[in-house]
Amino acid sequence: MFDISKLLDAIKASPYREIVIAAPHTGRITFADIKQGDVVLGRQGQWKEKPGVLLATLEREHNPKPVRAPEKGEISLVHKNLEGQYVEAGTPLVVLRHMLTRDEVQRIILQKALYLFRAPERAKYYLTPEADKKIRAADTHSVTVRDGMELFIMSRMKREAPLNYAGPDGVIYEVYFKYNENMDVGSPLIGVCPKDHLQLVQEMIMRVQTEWTEPS
Amino acid sequence: MNDHKILVANRGEIAMRIMRACHKLGVPFTAVHTAEDAASGHVLLASREGGEKSLFRVSSYHDANELMSVADEAGCTAVHPGYGFFAEDFRFARRVAKRDRTMIFIGPSWKIIRELGDKINTKRLARSLNVPTVPGSDRPIYDEMEAERIAKTIFEFQEQQGLKRPLVLVKASAGGGGMGIEEVYDPDLFRSVYRRIRNYALRQFKDEGVLIEQRVTDFNHLEVQIVSDRTGQNPVHFGTRNCSIQSSGLQKRIEVAPGFASETLEYTFNAKKLLTDIVDYSLAMARKVGYDNVGTWEWIVTRKGEPFLMEVNTRIQVENGVSARIARIKGNDGVDLIAEQIRLGLGQPLGYSQNDIGFEGVCIEYRLIAEDPDNNFTPWVGRIEHFHWEDAPWLTMLTHVSNTKPYEIPIEFDPNLALAIVWGKDISEAKTRGTAFLDSLRLTGRNSAGESLKSNAAFLKANTERILHF
Amino acid sequence: MDNNIEKRLQSLRDRLTYLGDIFAGRHRNNTAMLEEKLAAFDANAHAGSCEDPYAELATIEDMFAYVERRLESAITPMDRVRIVRHPQRVCLRDILENVYDNFTEVGGQDEHSLDPSMLIARAVITRRRGKKIYMQSVMVIGQEKGHGAEFRNGGSVKPWGNAKALQFMKVAETEGIPVHTYIFTPGSYPVEDYPGAAQQIARNLYQMAGLRVPVVAVISEGGSGGAEAIGLADRRLMLSHGYYSVISPEGAAAIEGRLKNGERATPELIEHCAANLKIMARDNLKFGYIDRIVQEPPLGARPWHFNFFRSLRQEIIRATDEVIISTRKTPVLRGLALARHRKPEADLDDLHIRWGLTKAAKARMLHHRQEKFLRLSRQAARDRRPFVKKSAVAFLDWISTPWLSFKYDFYHKHQRQISTLMEEINNEFEMFKKRLLAPLRKLTSNLPGRMDNKAKELTALSLWQGDSRGRQWNYISPRYKIDRTLTCPNSESYGCLDLWGPDLFAEFAGVCTHCGYHFPMEPEWYVKNVFDPRSVFEFNSEIEAGNPLDFPGFSERIAQAKAKTGTKSGCVTFEARIDNIKMVVAMLMGTFRGGSVGAAEGYKFVEAATRAAKKRYPFLAYVHGTAGIRIQEGTHGVIQMPRCTVAVRRYIETGGLYMVLYDTNSFAGPVASFLGCSPYQFAVRSSNIGFAGPGVIKETTGMDIPPKYHRSYRALSRGHIQAIWDRRQIKANLKQALLTIGGRNLYYR
Repeated sequence: MFDISKLLDAIKASPYREIVIAAPHTGRITFADIKQGDVVLGRQGQWKEKPGVLLATLEREHNPKPVRAPEKGEISLVHKNLEGQYVEAGTPLVVLRHMLTRDEVQRIILQKALYLFRAPERAKYYLTPEADKKIRAADTHSVTVRDGMELFIMSRMKREAPLNYAGPDGVIYEVYFKYNENMDVGSPLIGVCPKDHLQLVQEMIMRVQTEWTEPS
Repeated sequence: MNDHKILVANRGEIAMRIMRACHKLGVPFTAVHTAEDAASGHVLLASREGGEKSLFRVSSYHDANELMSVADEAGCTAVHPGYGFFAEDFRFARRVAKRDRTMIFIGPSWKIIRELGDKINTKRLARSLNVPTVPGSDRPIYDEMEAERIAKTIFEFQEQQGLKRPLVLVKASAGGGGMGIEEVYDPDLFRSVYRRIRNYALRQFKDEGVLIEQRVTDFNHLEVQIVSDRTGQNPVHFGTRNCSIQSSGLQKRIEVAPGFASETLEYTFNAKKLLTDIVDYSLAMARKVGYDNVGTWEWIVTRKGEPFLMEVNTRIQVENGVSARIARIKGNDGVDLIAEQIRLGLGQPLGYSQNDIGFEGVCIEYRLIAEDPDNNFTPWVGRIEHFHWEDAPWLTMLTHVSNTKPYEIPIEFDPNLALAIVWGKDISEAKTRGTAFLDSLRLTGRNSAGESLKSNAAFLKANTERILHF
Repeated sequence: MDNNIEKRLQSLRDRLTYLGDIFAGRHRNNTAMLEEKLAAFDANAHAGSCEDPYAELATIEDMFAYVERRLESAITPMDRVRIVRHPQRVCLRDILENVYDNFTEVGGQDEHSLDPSMLIARAVITRRRGKKIYMQSVMVIGQEKGHGAEFRNGGSVKPWGNAKALQFMKVAETEGIPVHTYIFTPGSYPVEDYPGAAQQIARNLYQMAGLRVPVVAVISEGGSGGAEAIGLADRRLMLSHGYYSVISPEGAAAIEGRLKNGERATPELIEHCAANLKIMARDNLKFGYIDRIVQEPPLGARPWHFNFFRSLRQEIIRATDEVIISTRKTPVLRGLALARHRKPEADLDDLHIRWGLTKAAKARMLHHRQEKFLRLSRQAARDRRPFVKKSAVAFLDWISTPWLSFKYDFYHKHQRQISTLMEEINNEFEMFKKRLLAPLRKLTSNLPGRMDNKAKELTALSLWQGDSRGRQWNYISPRYKIDRTLTCPNSESYGCLDLWGPDLFAEFAGVCTHCGYHFPMEPEWYVKNVFDPRSVFEFNSEIEAGNPLDFPGFSERIAQAKAKTGTKSGCVTFEARIDNIKMVVAMLMGTFRGGSVGAAEGYKFVEAATRAAKKRYPFLAYVHGTAGIRIQEGTHGVIQMPRCTVAVRRYIETGGLYMVLYDTNSFAGPVASFLGCSPYQFAVRSSNIGFAGPGVIKETTGMDIPPKYHRSYRALSRGHIQAIWDRRQIKANLKQALLTIGGRNLYYR
């Protein structure tokens, strides 16, 4: 396996991640009352049901849409020069300096411990309807995978093809792709925890939970 | 015309053709692209030749809201949908025409798109004008007894026609795209197939209506190009095309104009009369609905020379170039159907009649695609390193792929690389030139696994021999 | 100092704390005086310097009694709320010990119970006639507050606690013994865990509406739904210091003040609400929602008020006897017996009446109970029908009832036999004809020309009228005129693109084309698109929602709602057809004050159910949305729960098919009664169904609830509803349901 302590130390040495919040689509931008140095909160609540802090409003076709902070962080840059302007899709609006949360660290470490099933091609990936339904209804842990099981739909060039999972049997611990997102060749799609690793993974989670202190 | 500005709501080759047509007409335009598609030829062309506010990055070509938003920002007055995406979406056309800041949809009016977009409706319209359609029901059947009776009649009808292997097609009337369709070869099996399709339709579309038709096998795929101005009163045709050479997934690979070479090749039926017939039928329907832009009537023609109307494509098609290439208006060549579409779409009168349109020679269009014809035409994804061909006066190359720099094939769209349009004064010259072009072509590349590029060039060459034969 | 004095001293200290508590700091001079005296005596007694401690103590006790009597007249409605919630107030166990002669708890013991806040016991009352002693059994059911014991949850009963109550009501029904219920609840515990708060209360109400044993309810703290769960009784008594209300004054204040989560209502606002909701015993007696008040000692009954228990015993026996007596058939005997019982000086312990009933008497009792509830609260709605119309309706009713019963009960039965006969004759004739024509047919089939027919059939245009695929909706939301886009709430998880308003609100019927999320639509959309065009006939539109409690400022708000919606109440009742199947529909409109139900809405609902029963039509409750009972109408509102449930039960028992369809948001009282009791309940997609909203749950239980807690698919998994329908398929699904559930006869068994 690998050395968790070393990895944790490495993360502790640079516990920040830069998040660039870009316009999800075209529209006219109005910034909320934010400035450089402000600390903003991301989604809150037990079920992440409370939305993040409003950063800007993007209005397209008379539909003002809030742009919210995805995570907690300090605002390191606001492109205030765009205020009132029409922006193209993907234009950077705000940059956040985000300190890794316990969950994120856990995800980073888990990526090392889990079996990662990787994208064989650059494509969009979807879970098969049955698996998707299960995950939406409960959570990822509810899906058990077997070698050779049809688990994904790979979509590219407007053609869809089934993709079989290959790897050890186990439960899906993490899903790394989002709806309608292009995944590069070799990027992980899911993290699978084999049955006999469950104990180990739990222990690792415990370690992160205890050793990683989140800034309050 | 000069007061207008056109939003090019498409990508790739067709976007480039639309922009060039705009340029020719002196109409400014605005193009859009996604982040993935930044290296596409249409982006380079737009940034090189477009004026102010002529290029915007959007989140998706499929998001109508992005297109409307960009159109407003750029001050566009009309939208050209190209083909694919929103070209046959009557809701999009309706939105363009009905929003507070109205624009012109360059294509037929939305009501016509809706009317001819519905296959049952089209079939019934055709029958009401005595235009031949595939034998079978022209309305959804809900009753099992009636369905069996129709299926039986279709079987008997085919036997009387002397068909050895009669086939009946059962399909969900609300379906489309090849889902919920099944063939029946044995009358005794009909009932179980019917029930299966009916239940499928009920589950999928909440409508258990089923269409029952003869399954026509062994046919050629022909098209009639129709052009009309906004009056909808005086449609003309720009001849026929033959699109019978297709991939295993029934996608066109080689298109030829005219539809049959009735002068030079032998057919089992009167090909000349057939071409006249389908053109007349198509024009009759166009007149009936008041068709008011460019469109294509698709036909299947059996070996006995019977035509059946399949559907109407209410848009400009990929292969419009072959019809344009052999057409002469008042004796002049250089016909550009896309420019015509824009000109007419913006409200100009046609300005000529059917008598002013003539045809000369034979034209072949090859769709050059990175795919593996030996392996079910699977698309090949990777990086194109060299793309080169020999220019010739008889050759028009339409491509958004750079021939100077390597090009990464984006994975989100149809894998078309280029359209090669080859003209010859007759069929043999066209074939010779076509083969010469394919021989001169250099197309190489590699994918992430280090495998070399696969293309359909060999498939195209092998099938060049077959064209227009039936 | 002897033990006795110490005990009495402690009791006085308790009374002092009680005084301070219930008046929340008011009347401080009085309490201070008592405190002073008490402290002085305490000091003296300890020092042993009292000459006659018993006498002095008695003086102080008198003084206490005097002050309590004096303060009794100064009690405000909010003080009553504090009285009933005080840990010193009598609770059900005190009553079991002091009112009944013996009892056995059957619904669990202390904290070892399915739900300790619901207490159930078999109890015995012993009565004498002459020398003979009679033991009479009853089933006692009620909420137990346990003098503030934590595990009793303040008498807030969980869904399974109410289910337990229902179980034992059925036991009582089997055994034929009366049920005495004691209502000591601030409200039900609003969790949706199986069986679900609302759904269980609805079940209880439905069963109690037809429970075939006498039921007597005693209300101390009657908090809305929780009270109704065991409150539908033949006789309803109320303790003089209790309250019976649609909602706790705090809850009313939170709604009145439009407070967002976390904010607290000011005491003034709470007091204002308590005063205006008319929650006291005498108010409810005046309205007719209770039958009798049981007088409590000054400032409310506490466990040492033994006289109170005695009078409660008398009252509860009297009430039970009265129920029994009023089922007697002979009017003279009934009158005599009732008169004897109603004499205040009558000692009911010495009068014996058998508490068992014959089958016929049970039916009469049920009839009385149902009629009683159906009569209630009519005066609280404003019936604007002109007198002539009302009389005409009554007259028509009088004529048509026998005609309809002839038509359906007699004629239809025989008509079926006739048509069966006709069918058989026809079949024989067809067979005969076929055999006769067979040779001829063989001949013609070989003729040429038939092939042309085949080709013609397969290639010519067929006749087809039924092309409804391109059909536009009969009604489209006016929002379609606005050129703007809308974001689907699910877009984040399903990647839905923004929808263009004119498409969404017209062609798409408010449904996201990508994920199927249903945006709320106007009530008119359903009326015009679900039912056959021009088949809708509204009735009773003149019955208007009013302000029966004269709640300050509410008349204006009702007037606003009427102006906004163009209807006179939140319930629209009409007859309509779906593909020519006739039905009666009651629609609760979410656009009229949140679809809340008050006296007018209940009135119209009951009338609609009656009409459906009379005409033998299926009855559909379409809930466009309901926020619950209209709190500003107080108990006029809450009484609609048992009332409408009775109407529904009557309709179902006469053979009707009652279906409920929920849309948008349906919460609280109506769901917990006349809607939730339907055997066939469906929901439209993206709707929410539940008992209390997230804010109320947080307030009452302190729990945070997950974001999708009230989604209809959870109600489906729990078994509350039977299916979730797409809005665009409502018409087809309703028809399907009518044909399959209603069977061949559609609605009448």
